[in-house]
Amino acid sequence: MRFAILGGLLVALVAPWFITSDSVLAIAIYGFMSAALAVSFNLIFGFTGQLSMFHAASFGVSAYVVTILVTSYGWNFWLAIPCALLLVVVLALFVGTICFRFKLKEFYFAVVTMAFSEVLRLITLNWNSVTNGSLGITVVDKPSLWTPWGSLTFSSGISWYYVTLVLLVVVYIVCQRVLASWIGQCLAAIRLNDLLGETLGIDVFKYKLISFAIGSALAGLVGAFYGFYAGFVEPHYLSIPLGLDIVAMVLLGGVNSLIGPVIGALMLTALPHVIELSAEFRIALYGAILIFVILVMPKGIMGLITSRKNAA
Amino acid sequence: MLQLILGQLLNGIIVGSLYGIIALGVTLTFGLTGIVNFALGAFMMLGAYGTWYLYDVAHLPYPLAVVGAVLGVSAVGYVSDMLLFRFTRGNLVNGLLVSIGLISVFEALVLSAFTTTPKDLTYVLPGAFQVAGMFLPKIKLVVCAVFLVIIFGTYLALTRTWLGRAAFAYAQNPEAATLMGIRTERLQTIVVVYSTALAGLGGGLYASMYSIEPTIGTAYILKAVEAAILAGVGSVIGALGGGIILGVSENIGSVFFPSAFRDAYGLVFLIGILLVRPSGLFGDRL
Repeated sequence: MRFAILGGLLVALVAPWFITSDSVLAIAIYGFMSAALAVSFNLIFGFTGQLSMFHAASFGVSAYVVTILVTSYGWNFWLAIPCALLLVVVLALFVGTICFRFKLKEFYFAVVTMAFSEVLRLITLNWNSVTNGSLGITVVDKPSLWTPWGSLTFSSGISWYYVTLVLLVVVYIVCQRVLASWIGQCLAAIRLNDLLGETLGIDVFKYKLISFAIGSALAGLVGAFYGFYAGFVEPHYLSIPLGLDIVAMVLLGGVNSLIGPVIGALMLTALPHVIELSAEFRIALYGAILIFVILVMPKGIMGLITSRKNAA
Repeated sequence: MLQLILGQLLNGIIVGSLYGIIALGVTLTFGLTGIVNFALGAFMMLGAYGTWYLYDVAHLPYPLAVVGAVLGVSAVGYVSDMLLFRFTRGNLVNGLLVSIGLISVFEALVLSAFTTTPKDLTYVLPGAFQVAGMFLPKIKLVVCAVFLVIIFGTYLALTRTWLGRAAFAYAQNPEAATLMGIRTERLQTIVVVYSTALAGLGGGLYASMYSIEPTIGTAYILKAVEAAILAGVGSVIGALGGGIILGVSENIGSVFFPSAFRDAYGLVFLIGILLVRPSGLFGDRL
């Protein structure tokens, strides 16, 4: 498994030399960012068992904060990121504290986080003086990175390819380290049976909050870059359908697996472009895949792979 | 000022009864199958489009168009239950996700068949009554009355008929109900289909008050779920109560606060209720 992942990473590293079309490169870039979102969401959903509908909100809030700080206040991009992440973590701790303190059951948790995320979307939609309402904000600046050989501006597709690949690897490694640690053990216990976990002396409230905050912060990290690559931010970034896209990616790839969501996200991002489809049918395809995966292969693609290996 | 508040109060009750009729479907489905059917919003949208099609294209009289649409939606509901919902009984997360997937499918199909151009049926019953200086559109009063009759009818049917008592029994204790000779699978299917029919009716009557678009369902199912939770999932009359509380709080809220945030007032109210009284305002009774 580990070799397969490293091999995949190697292929991803050399792939730009063979990709000539800009649109394929763009699909790969969006794929990496979606994959990073899906991996971070799976920390909360797959590994802690909490169906959070707040993920798109964390992503969107961070995208907005970074964009506004850079375009309206002239901040440096790299300075704006920590600020955005700080805000996302504060929001996640606020929402998480309310939900976990009152021990909301899975469905109520989903509804309350959905409610908070809708409130945030309404704020971005209606706070015209700052967010420019439903039109969103156009981002013309491109972030640049200081290197000993001069400053490097992320303007070309290739540079964004590597930036987003690094982003995905960072998110992946953070989640892997969290899960390999004592925290990961506690999260597994909470997912399987949180009452039992509590009697074993695990501070269920604290670890749920940690998982929610880390996952949301990682989503915020992706959001910070997303607006700058896409060239605009709009209230749709915080919408429920975006949150559901992330759920579909995770389910397709496989819950309870680190690499599964990456596969699911890459497939779902590429699929509509491989088979030429209009926007409506892309939405329908998402829905159909979601239904199919849940009813026919509830453990996703990774579930199929591992069960075949066990059978052999 | 008083007139404005009274007018908004009445508007809130009318919108609230629409939330209520969908919330009733949410509550019934949850009580008997343990899943929250988010696709009821999409069934409402199908009902609205079915009514529009039968009235505007097939030239049926409006009441007949609504009945036809409700029957059509129930048929779609039956097929969806047989093909999809049947396999998610008792599994809340799976049921939630399957129903959400179904929303995208229905919305996309309607979008490609009828485009995004809003359809308008609001001329079905023009005119308004004037009461104490306020204008009350006739159609809204009729729609509200129909919803109230249906909700109270459902309540009577649940408490007075054999099938209704079977549903109560099943919601209280599935095993015991099975032992008493209740055919539980059929009962569940009936309730799921009835819920979709209620949503279809909601949509058909909605079409006579507001213009319709393929995305109307999403907003209303969220409201209906809010109303159901607000009332306490499992309470029939509570679903109506929850819907009306929600409708009124939104309409009165937008008199005193910016109306752009009207959707948020209900949500804030809901979060508050959930935290103080997790079983909802009307408790755990069916």
